[in-house]
Amino acid sequence: MSTYITRRLIQTLVVIGLLSYMCFYLMTLMPGDPVEIMISSNPRITSEDVARLRTLYGLDQPAYVRYVNWVKDFVRGELGYSRTYRVPVSELMGPRLVNTFYLSLVAMIFSLAIAIPLGIYSGLKPGSKFDYIVNFLSFGGISMPSFWLGIVLIIIFAVNLQWLPAGGTQTVGIEGQGFWAEFFDRLKYLILPMLSLSIQQIGRFSRFTRSAMLEAMRNDFIRTAKAKGLSHQIVVWRHGFRNALIPLITIFALSISSLFSGALITETLFAYQGAGRLIYESIMANDFNVAMVSFVISVSMVLIMNLVADICYGVADPRIAYN
Amino acid sequence: MSSAVMPALTEKQIQKLEKSQTMFQIVMRQFVEHRMALVGSVIIAFFILISLAAPLIEQFTGLDPSAQNVFNRYKPPMTMATANSDIKETAVSQLIQLQPQVAATLQSELIEKNLIISAKPEDVLYDLVAKDRSEALNIVDQLKSSEAPILKKMIKGFETYHLFGTDELGRDVFIRIIYGARVSIGVGVLVAIVSALIGLLIGALAGFYGGFIDTALMRITDALISLPLLPVLIVIAAVDLTKIPGISFFLSAQNESIYKLVFILCLFSWMTVARLVRGAILSLREREYILAARTLGAKDSTIILRHMFPNVMAPMLVSVTLGVGESILFEAALSFLGLGIQPPTPSWGNMLFNAQELIYQAPFLAILPGLLIFLTVISFNFVGDGLQDAIDPKSIRR
Repeated sequence: MSTYITRRLIQTLVVIGLLSYMCFYLMTLMPGDPVEIMISSNPRITSEDVARLRTLYGLDQPAYVRYVNWVKDFVRGELGYSRTYRVPVSELMGPRLVNTFYLSLVAMIFSLAIAIPLGIYSGLKPGSKFDYIVNFLSFGGISMPSFWLGIVLIIIFAVNLQWLPAGGTQTVGIEGQGFWAEFFDRLKYLILPMLSLSIQQIGRFSRFTRSAMLEAMRNDFIRTAKAKGLSHQIVVWRHGFRNALIPLITIFALSISSLFSGALITETLFAYQGAGRLIYESIMANDFNVAMVSFVISVSMVLIMNLVADICYGVADPRIAYN
Repeated sequence: MSSAVMPALTEKQIQKLEKSQTMFQIVMRQFVEHRMALVGSVIIAFFILISLAAPLIEQFTGLDPSAQNVFNRYKPPMTMATANSDIKETAVSQLIQLQPQVAATLQSELIEKNLIISAKPEDVLYDLVAKDRSEALNIVDQLKSSEAPILKKMIKGFETYHLFGTDELGRDVFIRIIYGARVSIGVGVLVAIVSALIGLLIGALAGFYGGFIDTALMRITDALISLPLLPVLIVIAAVDLTKIPGISFFLSAQNESIYKLVFILCLFSWMTVARLVRGAILSLREREYILAARTLGAKDSTIILRHMFPNVMAPMLVSVTLGVGESILFEAALSFLGLGIQPPTPSWGNMLFNAQELIYQAPFLAILPGLLIFLTVISFNFVGDGLQDAIDPKSIRR
């Protein structure tokens, strides 16, 4: 078990390293480096100044040298300054990651709460009308462009009904009005992004729950349990669902990355101050330090969560041997 | 017992039952039984037909996907848009400037036949277009010159019918949707096919040779599968790819954004197919007929291409069909963020990108393209599901 974890950990670190280098290299290819932007904002800059600035920022060195320097700084905790926000990246990053974590967590809980009961009941009654409807709805969920659902939700709930805010993270000036006021305010801003983010997950989860449940209820021990005269509830929950959980964990692990992908686009659409939106905005604004750090940290988080879910897999099913 | 339960069969029925069915027939029969898959394939066929016929539709309706008209912005669906006198005059002066001979012959003929009486001869064309549509067309019909159709097309263009309304630049949404279908479905299908080929190659190599090659390729596949795709795609899409040596060859200047998008999406969507093919080939490798082929001295490439691929084709077809839907969604997501297909080329995704800021003025603009994306993707998913049921030997009922 511990060798498995070590191996997976090393593997994850290698992936993060390669990915950050690729990202670094690609960003050097982006049109316009920091100095070019300074030139465009200051037309009277002299060519000596340009050369001096390039040496100062190390832009005259090849990409891999700059990457090594960047990694050294990163490890020491010097994340650099944001060019657009004029604050240290570390100050910018923290709250954004927390916001994304809230959004993802709420969306994950919501989609599991909806999808698992749907999946279980349609898996218990395959071929019934209920199963048919759930199947149709989950196909709809999987095929739904989440950002479009977001737009439709904004049109309905923010533009027409004016029940919920169209975007943002919290009302300006709500801080310091007590915990609950702030809590409900945040919740109000979370509802629409959560719905738009959950729809695909609900579709995916309910389909997988259904097939996992079908598979689990086909086992011989289910028949034995029924023959013993156990109640339907116990057979379904203790014997069926517990075994259906195992494949569900894999899907849960894989969906973390798609959840983050979805969060990026949802945050952008709803102007929610999260890490995904930060990645998008910093890349669009050519804010190199922020883009690099937010990308590497968010992707690493996703990969580590993946690893944790994989390890949980072993805990849930003792039959799985890691070798 | 069975004879007691079953009613007696006629000669014909027995003959029919005894006739062997080909694999294709069996699969078809199963597929047709999956009602949603059937509906989905009809919808897909309809969209593909429409997108193939896009130039014809453009010609027939006289609508231009890139013709802008700032006076006709945000028209609701099913409205008639009439050009005002400014636009008419600009069109005429453009005709006079760009095609002076055509304008001159038309002008002289109009004066000769005394169809329009104007103060000055130069004003004849302007006076003509200022008239009512039917009246102007009536006059043009009386012209015998070969240039008359040009004038007719111009006058017809002044009054356009917009089935789906117009967008923020006054462009007709209907014809843009049709051209957008071309781009969106085209990109989806292309990405699915190319990435399936990449996956086939990598999966076959990994599964067939095993050992180090297998480990290396599968580690890469696993690593790519666990990545959050959208951030990675955004980083790559934001980059000027032509700066990477060796890639500029693949990207021609024309329609660059489309090829770039296809290239990027292909890089990150071959993994599921690779895993599937590897799994299938691993089990095929142990079969007797592969051993037989090897004993007969077949080369590795022959074994893979002639003996293994036909067995992998069916599950791959399913995965390609499901991949089309996914690629369409990714294309739409990237274009929606402004990083995919670049305007003025319309795609369903970038039509949404423009529309997201206009939800107050024109909510319809935001609803329609998304609805079409949804409809197309769900159709592809149902067809994939139907195919999966149809080719799965466990579910085949004869």
